[in-house]
Amino acid sequence: MKLLTKTSLNFISASVIFFLVGSIAMYFSVRNIIAEDLKNRLLQQQNEFIYTAQQNKVTDLVSELVFVQTTEKKQLYSFSDTVLIANEKYILYRKLAFSYSQNEQDYKVSILLSQSESDMLIMKIAIMNVGFAMLFFLIMFFVNRHSIKSALGVFYSTIRKLEDFEVNKAEVLTLETAEVDEVRKLNAVFEKMSKQIRQDFISQKEYTENVSHELQTPLAIISSKADELMQADNLSKEQMEQLALLLETTNRLSKINQSLIFLTKIDNRFYTEGATFSLNDLIKEKLTLFAEAIKDKNIQLKVDLSDITHIYMDKYLADTLLMNLIKNALIHNKEGGELSIKLANNTLIISNIGEVLTFAESDIFNRFSRSEHNKKSLGIGLSVVKSICELYDFNLQYNYDGMHHFSINFKK
Amino acid sequence: MLKKHNILLVEDELELAKSTLAYLSENGFSPFLAKDLKSARKLLKQENFSAVLLDLGLPDGDGMSLIKEIKNAKNEIGLIIVSAKDALEKKVEGLELGADDYLTKPFFFPELNARLKSVIRRLNLEANKEIVLNEITLFPEQMRTLIHGKEIELTAKEFGLLLYFVSNQNRVISKTTLGEFMSSNYADYGFTDDVVYTHIKNLKKKLSVSDADDYIKNVYGVGYKFTVA
Repeated sequence: MKLLTKTSLNFISASVIFFLVGSIAMYFSVRNIIAEDLKNRLLQQQNEFIYTAQQNKVTDLVSELVFVQTTEKKQLYSFSDTVLIANEKYILYRKLAFSYSQNEQDYKVSILLSQSESDMLIMKIAIMNVGFAMLFFLIMFFVNRHSIKSALGVFYSTIRKLEDFEVNKAEVLTLETAEVDEVRKLNAVFEKMSKQIRQDFISQKEYTENVSHELQTPLAIISSKADELMQADNLSKEQMEQLALLLETTNRLSKINQSLIFLTKIDNRFYTEGATFSLNDLIKEKLTLFAEAIKDKNIQLKVDLSDITHIYMDKYLADTLLMNLIKNALIHNKEGGELSIKLANNTLIISNIGEVLTFAESDIFNRFSRSEHNKKSLGIGLSVVKSICELYDFNLQYNYDGMHHFSINFKK
Repeated sequence: MLKKHNILLVEDELELAKSTLAYLSENGFSPFLAKDLKSARKLLKQENFSAVLLDLGLPDGDGMSLIKEIKNAKNEIGLIIVSAKDALEKKVEGLELGADDYLTKPFFFPELNARLKSVIRRLNLEANKEIVLNEITLFPEQMRTLIHGKEIELTAKEFGLLLYFVSNQNRVISKTTLGEFMSSNYADYGFTDDVVYTHIKNLKKKLSVSDADDYIKNVYGVGYKFTVA
């Protein structure tokens, strides 16, 4: 939920509650005031009646709303509600009844006062109350919303900039200066943090490159000297074999070194040049590169790319991902074996026939886990696949049912 | 005899430079060594080079700064960057600046040789369109092969292998080196010794069917030698 939505909702719900409670309280107090007013007016009419009755006969004072009856009982006065029917309409009246004595005769006098006017008044007040309050809350709501929005403008721009922030890009994270202290403080923290992160990133990158450089050059010397020695005419078979082994081992060491540097780079989010492209086309392109290798091993290739799937990722990493998976499925395939590539429902499944793993299934994506059947493999290709999938939150799975199945779900 | 190509090697690692110089001399080049940018600039003014092998991390600066100067020279000089840095962006940057090729350390000499020859060939289009070795004639641009003047069909891999061997005559080339060469040209497929063996066997068969000499000799089962008397 957005901060603005949240505060607006808080404001609205608080407003509604206060408005309801206030309206009910107001209704009752207005009713009370009006009832009091009605009572006073009735009492005033009683006084007027008594005053007029001193000069006139009581029975002459009877009118539309003043009733006079003879009575035996004396009573001081009492209020009550009564309903009269006039023109087939029920009208609510407030009645004041009291006794009045004239010429030794007790009369019961009832004075009626219509309540419909005061009811009308209550209604009008209520409507006005609702109307004004609504208007007031509405204005408050928009003023409040606008003020929060403008106060948080810098905050939102900070969020946008942080979203776009990429640690490997040269540009420095510069955030707008905010009026609000909290936001200013937050921005300062972010700016400091981004500088630190970038510095760490650069030093790590430098370290990686240095390691690469420092190791590769000595390896180049060893390899060149071994190659030079191999050219001598008087070498025995054993000496030649040892030199060849030296060359092979040096090459292997260099490959491991390069792969580890590459893995470190992926894990350090070094490759983040994103692009959207069709996975189908990329798979087809990669398969043409392997066409000869597939033919060499007499592998039966089954390709089902019925679903057009577009993905967003670094092109180089996408290349590497596919190359490593296909390569893996070829190297560990049998002569005349089967390789199936299926792309459907945002899921790529690469399956191949091959020997049962000689290590735990859960280790398959770990570095340096390799099969007894292929000791020459470095055991890094699939960990590169795993690192790339982790970088993009792709779901990578492995299972074996006579065939090795590697599946990647590209849907996030 | 063809004139020897002058090659400038810019490399600060002395041991590697010594081996490389020896190797280049053996292979019919006339190599010069510069240990830093300063002496490289001096040599570039004094001599006419066909190609430069440029290391990037030099004591007095980044080799990248030399690329433009080399490429702006009046005669065309082939340029191969030889660096321990296998960073993709370095490669892209170097190639964009005008380098013709990029080789990552550690490299194999036959690989360096093949690439060097290929770069020089590309720059001297008219002069060396074809490579002639006794009865074998190769057209690298069109990937065509003539033996005794008769066209033979080679697969891309076989042609690559033959060109590689012809570029590296009379040298023992280990299976590792061949495997690496084939991997780098064909989608980094993990070439096992068996695959290398299969392709060489096929190539030898095609050559012998066309009555070519048996140039490709197995050396103790660890490598091959393209022997030309």
